[in-house]
Amino acid sequence: MLVKNIYNEFIKILSKPRSYLGIGALTILICIIIFAMKVDGNSIVSFVTASFEQTLSFNGKVINGNLIAFIILQMLIVHIPLLVALVTGDLISGEAAMGTIRMLATKPISRTQIVLSKFIAGALYTLFLTIWLGILALGLSHLIFGSGDLIVLNSDGIVILPNNDILWRYGAGFAVAYLSLLTVSSLSICLSTFAENSIGPIVSTMAIIILFTIIGTLDVTVFDTLKPYLFTTHMASWRSYFEDPVPFESIKQSVIILLVHNIIFISVSIIGFNRKDITS
Amino acid sequence: MKTLLTLLILTLHFGVFCQTSTELLSKVVSKINTVKDYSVTAKVSANIPMIKILPSQATIYFKQKNKFKVVSKGIVILPKQGFTDINSFLSNSNKHQSLLGDTSIINSVKTLLITVIPNGEGNDIVLAKLWVDYTRFVIMKSQITSISNGTITTTYNYGDKVSFGLPSKMIFEIDVKKFKLPKSVAADINKKKNPTPDDKAKKGTITISLSEYVVNQGINDSVFSK
Repeated sequence: MLVKNIYNEFIKILSKPRSYLGIGALTILICIIIFAMKVDGNSIVSFVTASFEQTLSFNGKVINGNLIAFIILQMLIVHIPLLVALVTGDLISGEAAMGTIRMLATKPISRTQIVLSKFIAGALYTLFLTIWLGILALGLSHLIFGSGDLIVLNSDGIVILPNNDILWRYGAGFAVAYLSLLTVSSLSICLSTFAENSIGPIVSTMAIIILFTIIGTLDVTVFDTLKPYLFTTHMASWRSYFEDPVPFESIKQSVIILLVHNIIFISVSIIGFNRKDITS
Repeated sequence: MKTLLTLLILTLHFGVFCQTSTELLSKVVSKINTVKDYSVTAKVSANIPMIKILPSQATIYFKQKNKFKVVSKGIVILPKQGFTDINSFLSNSNKHQSLLGDTSIINSVKTLLITVIPNGEGNDIVLAKLWVDYTRFVIMKSQITSISNGTITTTYNYGDKVSFGLPSKMIFEIDVKKFKLPKSVAADINKKKNPTPDDKAKKGTITISLSEYVVNQGINDSVFSK
């Protein structure tokens, strides 16, 4: 029954035009970035390597598919949560707003399973979005720019990774990025459980992400104890796979914190939905 | 016999030191100028603060006067100065003045220091110190100070192409200024700050091992325009 309900929930997601809005926006954004890099990529790279270019010259294919994919991920990973929340934030509250939640509850399935099926359907949509991002960012960039060594720009220097050592990093990076987006999906579904309209959970999710990101960015000691526990702090952990050496311990910690957030959000949603008065 | 030998050694010794800096420099330049073009395989190993890069390989093409091209599959970091600019600077003797300095030993080779100063203004190179092997007429070490690139010290080793004045190994020592990328550009917003930030310039080294020289075999101009 759970599997059938997951299938139904996924069909519901696919039948909503807003689900395609995110995919469409993602496609257009990536195409714009690729076009910009094709036209003026050299000056963008020069802006970044300018500190060194007085004494050093970077020879070889600096602008390549790997670099473009990295820039795309770096730019979009901040905005994709909005696209995820746009769909997942509506999953329970949308039913409440339309009044279909009561019909849903009449099915021979527990409320816990209803929430779980929505989580899994949301997770599948998020997975599809992440894979689509990967195909466009990596595939299209490689098709247009070809492959090559990757220059990764950190605030304290540059790491140049050889071409044959990059693909696995992207694979692992996408997996962590997916976990980050899954946390956003879980948060929005959790908020959706307590809301009666669609907009509230979507806006609240984005507000929380913005608030936590600002707290994480502020170099104020008072927030230092709080920062490691904010899920937004770990949303950029995918980037750690592009460091040399890879800080596996810190990635592991990030994965644990993101998983704990997911478990908390799902648990709260289940408890909240089981207690929810849907008769009124 | 001993007296004769001593006289001979003294004559040879004075012969060398009686060379003016201009003569010595012109012999070095003449040797460099025997090379019309070359291609060489370069193995580049960079040890530069704030840059992490594995050793990489490239093919370097050179053609007189100043055509220079680096072709590589991956990214190769090279110093901006040190390959062709010193040759073109030294080639025109009217553009500079030189002074002979002390002798010193570099890589077990006796050298003479020649200080080269450009005539007039408008030159990028403001001072060049060259430690020249006065028996083989090759540069063993150079210290070039320029307006655009600061000071770059280069040590040269020579192999089978010493007759052309082409080195088998070059070690560049460069100044790397403080590098700081804004967090918004780097996007690693959660990265902790370095507890002991060092604002001073740091030294970096780039070692280039050169092998498989192909000298004066002719290189098509299209190689440089790609």
